[in-house]
Amino acid sequence: MSELFEMGIREIQAGLAAKEFSAVEVAQAATDRIEANDFQDGGVNAFLEFTPEMAREAAARIDEQLAAGKTPSEIGPLAGIPMAYKDNMNLLGTRTTCASRMLENYESAYTATCVQRTLDAGAIPLGKLNMDEFAFGSSTETSAFGPTRNPWDLERVPGGSSGGSAAAVAAGFATVTLGSDTGGSIRQPGSFTGTVAVKPTYGVVSRYGIVAFGSSLDQVGPFARSVEDAALALNAISGHDALDCTSQPVDTDFTANLAEGVKGMRIGIVPAFMQAQGLTPEVKDKVAEAAEHMRTMGAELVEVDLPNAQAAMSAYYVLGPCEAFSNLSRFDSVRYGYCEPGHKDLGGQYEASRAKGFGPEARRRIMLGSYLLSAGVYDTYYYPAQQVRTLITQDYTRAYEKCDVILLPSSPRTAFKFGEISDPMSMYLSDMFTVSLNIAGNGGMSVPVGLGVDTNLPIGVQLQSPQFKDENMFRAAAALEQVYGKAPIAPAFARKAGE
Amino acid sequence: MAQHVTERDVRDIAEYTRIHLDEDEVKQMTIDLNDIIESLKPITEYDLEGVVPTFHPIGSLSNVMREDVEVPGFTQEEALANAPAKQDDCFLIPSILGEGGDR
Repeated sequence: MSELFEMGIREIQAGLAAKEFSAVEVAQAATDRIEANDFQDGGVNAFLEFTPEMAREAAARIDEQLAAGKTPSEIGPLAGIPMAYKDNMNLLGTRTTCASRMLENYESAYTATCVQRTLDAGAIPLGKLNMDEFAFGSSTETSAFGPTRNPWDLERVPGGSSGGSAAAVAAGFATVTLGSDTGGSIRQPGSFTGTVAVKPTYGVVSRYGIVAFGSSLDQVGPFARSVEDAALALNAISGHDALDCTSQPVDTDFTANLAEGVKGMRIGIVPAFMQAQGLTPEVKDKVAEAAEHMRTMGAELVEVDLPNAQAAMSAYYVLGPCEAFSNLSRFDSVRYGYCEPGHKDLGGQYEASRAKGFGPEARRRIMLGSYLLSAGVYDTYYYPAQQVRTLITQDYTRAYEKCDVILLPSSPRTAFKFGEISDPMSMYLSDMFTVSLNIAGNGGMSVPVGLGVDTNLPIGVQLQSPQFKDENMFRAAAALEQVYGKAPIAPAFARKAGE
Repeated sequence: MAQHVTERDVRDIAEYTRIHLDEDEVKQMTIDLNDIIESLKPITEYDLEGVVPTFHPIGSLSNVMREDVEVPGFTQEEALANAPAKQDDCFLIPSILGEGGDR
């Protein structure tokens, strides 16, 4: 039998229903593992805040309902499931720091809709997860509270910005976690940690209660060790929310077609992506191998073109900082956030507080956004970037006339070592295969396909779907999972043979 | 490397964004911003004549209105809960008209 930390949602709920274990035992197993592996020197450092009491209380409530005769599915679709949340998501009773000194002591003033929906569905909240500061980064190294380590190799980054969310799932600390993706911040760490990592279509999940980075780009999604668990989690958090007017009335069951296989599906391949500069041979081989498996299972491979994808990087690094500049102007050292004491004038207090509260990457993006939106410069970058957005969206629309999903790399390479990529421009290239999707607002996910032959580290392939057709990528992902198996727990954290 | 912003521009931007930078930081920020802005060049080289911009991924959205009904909002206490400094149910800030006023 599996250990509790290895189980998926259905397995946990079957065990709860059969009274093989209680929800409190599930919570205890998860919190024990986190205590043993996350906090000490050299630990994973996935958690910025750990909530064992909250977990135990939530689990006790589940046990009460089970004792009263309810089944787990009657209690809720995530009843008894250990979960944790990226620390840009408000949860009453916890701080929401965005891994920034600016919000180091910020107490959540309310609970984000996506988090509340998991709690209403019966999830056990384990705590808040590390990230790049304000989600600006691709490695979790910009966290003000120290980087998260990749459970597959503690000398390497877990990717980012949702690095804590990815690492917590890969290390078997949580069954499901939530992250957010503005330019690849779910899919790239998903690839680096070998987890199933979903960025749904913009509007599928409410953004209410998520600290905003790029409001037209941000979207919340789940990390899990199986496609089904990710689909069940997305079922629980998706749909319209009156508190986010961009959220849409989505009532799709993302598990509905997982068993259908890919026979008859049209899988789009972008030849130019496979020749992209910087794409490592081992990742390229894995994408080709995944495509071949899908063909063998009855899918049709079709070549599609996204001719404006090369402009997507520049468009993203215009739009992202512009929106971030606007969103981060709210940190005024008065209503909340870090305040540098001792200033006799308000202007001086603003300038000192924002200088000390924001880390280097946050300062860079704020100042870049300010420059790009300034008079005279706006017409050179910002307006054209929004025009490029139209071209990218049209590219996708044309491509999806010929295919149901597009298959491409999630990241050009496997996880890198701490400090290996130090200049901002090289770091931005981590996002080369992910940013177009956010600009168009479509859905995409990273699915683990085993280890690279050169680095022996996890590789994910990315599946992308048309807007509000996220079920297409789930169907294709489930077929790949048939071949490659579910996402394993990283070996150093897995049960040893004979245990 | 093209010079898009000078150190003087960076000082202006720092003032506008209310972020204090010391002289070393101004130098480094000038280098970083010029590097990044140079990399955005493809955007300026596209033929975009007549292309309508897309400002939002869900194009069909227009003003979304809610029913005009009262719902509970933050209490004053909740709104002030995270304030670094407060006094008498108000946010407390340094004087904005110079020193010397009643506190």
